[in-house]
Amino acid sequence: MKKLASPFVAAVLLLSSLPAWAAKPLLIVATVPELADIAARIGGERVRVESLAKGKEDIHQVVMRPSFVAKLNKADAAVYLGLSIEDSFLTGLLAASANPALRSDPIMQCSGPGCIDCSQGMSVLERPETLNRAEGDIHPQGNPHYNLDPESGARIARNIASGLSRIDPANAALYEKGLKEYLSELEPKVRELKARAAPLKGVKAVSYHKDVAYLGRFTGLDFIATVELKPGVAPTPTHLASLVAVMKEQGVRLIVREQQYEAKTVDWLAERTGAKVAVIGTMSGSLPGTRTYLGLCEANLKALLAAAGKE
Amino acid sequence: MLSLSTALLMVTLPCLAHAQDTVPPDADELKALEERVTRLETAPAKTFLSQFNPAMGLALDFALLDRDDKADFQFRAAEINLEASVDPFVKGWAIVNGSEGGVEVEEAALETTSLPWNLTVRGGRLFASFGRFPHYHGHELPVIETPNSIDTFVNGESRGEGLEVSYLFPTDFYLSATAGVFDQIGAENDRLDIAVARPFEDFTYLGRLNAGADLGDDHSLELGISEAWTPKRTMVEDATVTGSPFATATRKGTWRALTGLDLTYRYHPSSGGLYKGVVWGTEVFVNNEQRFDPATRLPTDRVRAFSGYSYAWIKLGRRWRPGLMGDLTEDLDSARKLTKTYTAFLSCDVTEYQRLRLSFSRREDNVPGTLVSNTIGLQWTGVLGYHVHGFRDR
Repeated sequence: MKKLASPFVAAVLLLSSLPAWAAKPLLIVATVPELADIAARIGGERVRVESLAKGKEDIHQVVMRPSFVAKLNKADAAVYLGLSIEDSFLTGLLAASANPALRSDPIMQCSGPGCIDCSQGMSVLERPETLNRAEGDIHPQGNPHYNLDPESGARIARNIASGLSRIDPANAALYEKGLKEYLSELEPKVRELKARAAPLKGVKAVSYHKDVAYLGRFTGLDFIATVELKPGVAPTPTHLASLVAVMKEQGVRLIVREQQYEAKTVDWLAERTGAKVAVIGTMSGSLPGTRTYLGLCEANLKALLAAAGKE
Repeated sequence: MLSLSTALLMVTLPCLAHAQDTVPPDADELKALEERVTRLETAPAKTFLSQFNPAMGLALDFALLDRDDKADFQFRAAEINLEASVDPFVKGWAIVNGSEGGVEVEEAALETTSLPWNLTVRGGRLFASFGRFPHYHGHELPVIETPNSIDTFVNGESRGEGLEVSYLFPTDFYLSATAGVFDQIGAENDRLDIAVARPFEDFTYLGRLNAGADLGDDHSLELGISEAWTPKRTMVEDATVTGSPFATATRKGTWRALTGLDLTYRYHPSSGGLYKGVVWGTEVFVNNEQRFDPATRLPTDRVRAFSGYSYAWIKLGRRWRPGLMGDLTEDLDSARKLTKTYTAFLSCDVTEYQRLRLSFSRREDNVPGTLVSNTIGLQWTGVLGYHVHGFRDR
């Protein structure tokens, strides 16, 4: 009996002492590819990460596909930008996904133990003083496009690491290690990008959508107007005529077009004003060479420097 | 562990010292500063109890319809939508609609948010999960007027008072099953007086299976099959019309089966978001029912009738969305009578919250001698406040 028991006990001990990494990886569903990139870097082999958006979409208009519901149903965590930027698709998907860890919330978008809101602790710009749809499709909690500022990357990474540690405390040390490794790559690169952006300081520019406040903070670009009449409201002929006049008057030589917006109006505006157009991405994967968050930041800066003639 | 106030003091001290040059703050000043920071740090959040109030939105829907040279301005909807979490387990919503017909509660329902095993239970007065367009609110349809097939077979929206349970299968594609029980289904369904209690066999039992899958990055396909089964109903002869000494009650063989099959194909190039793409949707209904003479309320025939619509909607960009719809509807009492409706429509999304729509419909019956009816419509829809479309009603 003793002979039989010994291998059995040994097997039990061996199984119970298996390292934590032998467990099934967590399924993390990120709303946008750059969050998936950062989560994958921090979580390493402990996580399997999928992104809902591919990168070329307008973040306000991501289509709710049937497969997204199935993914969110199985997810251990949802990583999202927050500040209501994903409310056109995330809340609806979560309501259909029947996952108690990720409940749909009309204000926070997601509530439950699996929600990782990357806007936590972010210094939010353009908080509206009053809420009125006459001002367009404004976000009640402030401008949510903080991912366009490379300096937001560290805060995003910390929020993801903190969320993963909360959901999977047994592997908190691994996530902390992943965070440190990622920050050791991110922070010097961001400093380098900041130095390269110096010539853009004070350069006047126009963007298609009002999503460049954080990009302006990082680069020093002075965004004076938008091609859209108001956020989410397509330009009218009157608005475009007055925009041409303003751009000429203020000597604006740079137009920033987010790749998801139509080129026709921007090209027309460039032709009338002599300004150059910089096409930027608002998500990783939106343009060639932007598969990662840092890739997106660098590609955007290159496009801005080239169009502004500051290379 | 440093408190925030101590940390703040440590940060501000050098600045104070620099500002006042050589005069450092004395102990009293430091204490006062620390007390002030602590008060700020521990102050309650500035809020008020009404922030617990539900999110609220209002959809307004007006139309001008010119049918066979007779026009009418229609106040179609002023629809108030209230929604909030009740507690960590349940959310609730109510939709109250005022229109030319009066004010009514269209939906008032609760839905679980935290049930295990992929289950969701919703109950109250709600739009039952029958078919696709039958549970859409009027202003969310791609056309101005509800398709004739839905109006005739479902009797308006799939509204009912009851309870339904949905199960989301843990598959890699979307697969959901719903079972429910309702007083009856159909906002304008007058087969029964639902205010009166009755046996459970007079209720309507709902079953629906809905599947959806992505076909690559840009295409998706959804298929649904629904069944609304009513085992029995009671019809009492109107003796004042027939002149019979005794009113006969008919109950045997009065079951009704309404079946729906829906198919939706979507093409949305990922670079175009919701702005560009094509949606093609088709829905077919089969009604199998013992019919009654509306005047005498005596049984006539059991009729199996078919109806359905098919539409295609092209999204050309941010604003313009033209489309076509064809609808074929057999008469519930006589399946040989067929009504055909063809509709061309053009929507202009002025903004995300305001839409204009122009449509032309031609309606004709296959009964010799009946007139062809032409309708030109102009619809103006606006949304105030909170308004979000869920996955089911997208």
